Amino acid sequence: MRTPLLDRRSFMKMAGAAWTATLAPSALYALERSDAVFASGFMARDGSFGVATLSENGTIIDKVSLPARSHGMAYSAQSGHAAAFARRPGTFAMIFDTRRQVEPVTIHAGEGRHFFGHGSFSPDGRLLYASENDFDENRGVIGLYDATDRYRRIGEFDTYGIGTHDMTVSDDGRMLVVANGGIETHPDFGRTKLNLDHMEPSLALVDAVTGALIERHAMPSGLRQLSTRHVDIDGKGRVWFACQYEGPRNDLPPLAGHFAKGEDIAFLELPAATTQGLANYVGAIAVNRSQGIVGLTSPKGGTAVTIDTGTGRVIREDRVSDAAGIAASKRGFAVSSYDGRFDDRQADLAWDQHIVRFGKT
Amino acid sequence: MLPLRAPRLRHALLGLAAAAFALPAWAQDANPIPPVELTDAAILPVMERAVDEVIRPGYRDLSASAKRLSQAVAAYCAAPSPDTRAAAHAAFDDTVEKWSFIEIVRDGPVLEQNRFERILFYPDRKSTGLKQVQSLLAKANEKDTDPATLPGKSVAVQGLGALEYVLYGTGADVLDTGKGSFRCRFGAAVADNIAATATSLSADWEKPDGVQKDWKHPGPDNPVFRDGKEAITALLGVLVHGAETVRDQRIESFYKGEDTPPRPKSAVYWRSGNTWKSIEGNLDGLSTLFRKSGMEELLDPGEASIAGSVEFVMKSLERTAPKIDTDIEKAVTEPTERKKIDFLIINARDLVLRLSNDFGGAIGLGAGFSFSDGD
Repeated sequence: MRTPLLDRRSFMKMAGAAWTATLAPSALYALERSDAVFASGFMARDGSFGVATLSENGTIIDKVSLPARSHGMAYSAQSGHAAAFARRPGTFAMIFDTRRQVEPVTIHAGEGRHFFGHGSFSPDGRLLYASENDFDENRGVIGLYDATDRYRRIGEFDTYGIGTHDMTVSDDGRMLVVANGGIETHPDFGRTKLNLDHMEPSLALVDAVTGALIERHAMPSGLRQLSTRHVDIDGKGRVWFACQYEGPRNDLPPLAGHFAKGEDIAFLELPAATTQGLANYVGAIAVNRSQGIVGLTSPKGGTAVTIDTGTGRVIREDRVSDAAGIAASKRGFAVSSYDGRFDDRQADLAWDQHIVRFGKT
Repeated sequence: MLPLRAPRLRHALLGLAAAAFALPAWAQDANPIPPVELTDAAILPVMERAVDEVIRPGYRDLSASAKRLSQAVAAYCAAPSPDTRAAAHAAFDDTVEKWSFIEIVRDGPVLEQNRFERILFYPDRKSTGLKQVQSLLAKANEKDTDPATLPGKSVAVQGLGALEYVLYGTGADVLDTGKGSFRCRFGAAVADNIAATATSLSADWEKPDGVQKDWKHPGPDNPVFRDGKEAITALLGVLVHGAETVRDQRIESFYKGEDTPPRPKSAVYWRSGNTWKSIEGNLDGLSTLFRKSGMEELLDPGEASIAGSVEFVMKSLERTAPKIDTDIEKAVTEPTERKKIDFLIINARDLVLRLSNDFGGAIGLGAGFSFSDGD
């Protein structure tokens, strides 16, 4: 069962008095006045990397160092654990306890695997799922890690696609939702995209118990270069997905859509100017369940777009240069940027591509 | 090269080689100069010079060199002798040099129809290319000496790696023992294929309405770049990813420092002794692109030192690569040689940060330009 919004009070209770005692007065002040807590990967001015927790107004509460650049994050309200995954083709993920009861755990992708940068906890917090590349076989897999055994890797599921990127878990924990970007990469070639002229993007629903394929949606012909990259789930269980287009820059393909299990995918029909503003590249997507909205960010277009999940209509568009992460907040969405902004607050670092909210709306 | 002693001290000194010249922009000033406002008027001349003075000449040189290589291998096959062999080897070295210069442009036509891999299939961790070429030579099927059949085969048997094995690999002495050996004629077919691929790349870049126009004239109808910022981001991306590739793919593929066992036979062109020449070519391509395109002009004059430090690091790298033993087995074994490789690794890492964070940040591409490849 999905836990409702984790508020500041719950977070502080979880984190404990010992931890709050370690905070700088300004951070404690910000935390006490914040409605929610967020986390994001960052790069510091000296080129080092880490994960920071933030209050709703963007004040940095705390930082954890990482050995290299991270990308996406996951959070379990049950265990209070948060995970930061290495950016592809990295091979580490760090799991830290927001309650500060156990030391952070660093795990490594299995032999012949690297992380794709995203993952998710099972609703009961007992499993951590991670999107990974079986690079010699050129297939995506979901690595399964046992949270009750220091995140030992206990197996993997096929993703029924290649270039897997983001993934999430249904509220009942029975189904994994996987975005297979369709782009072949191999760590020997760094981040080079090896098959742009014959991509195979898809969205797959996978049985979380057996690993069997429930259904798979390929992109329609004519949109085979539309890489399905990020997903989130709304309050009705509908999957929302966002894409990055690898075809000609002057094409104007649809960049986001939605579907429910058993349905065909439907693309959002956004106004042409909105689609142009997204610059064929949606970097992150988030659903705000309580407000019935979905948000998209584009660093290339320098924009953040808010859409009504019921009507599919654009509610607002904000110019945010280098727009990076997006997560549900009291005001709709919190948006970060590569140049260190988190909503209205400027930090002396560069935020990475994603924000996680400790708790869900 | 600095005189280096203990490993720990050495690392400190290596880092200082560049740091002494200029600290990263972030470290220099708590209140750095705000990024310049880039305009198309400033960007377009840079793109034009990059295309007309570096990329197009680079592919033209490669195409001409590959044609000479094709002729030299054919002459060697027709009349094997120490002279024709030396000429074929010299032509091979030259094509490696010309390719290494322009291969830093991992963008545009070379990514279409796997033309990059058709010219150089590397890295090849599982020795796919070697196994396929050995098998092909063992079978000696006459069809495989027809250049027309090669494009339909595995890319691993079509390019410089395959030809290097033919010319320098185990059993290459058969080339000297008789006219028109199967091995030599297969090598000639590979050389023809390299020349054809290189020529097609040059032709694509020479078309006035083709990729060169896309790169030089961004706009709403442009299939590659919608505006100048996208174009200059891609051009800086060529430099950043080129420097990353030198470090990650070309050096660390066989040497990762003292704590990891080296794998000298994983080095690119180790058989022909062209490993460092190739890396030197990559570095030459990077520095030529940076210098001739005039990217420095995009900086605020108050931050010109960023370009100076980029060029300083590039020169340090270019000076060091040719001084390393071309025998890779020795290079990864002997302490004096390893120190030079350590120097390359550390300074290539520094170059990436200077280009990505310092230069990218100063021209407003975000603090940490490579973040724009957000995934």
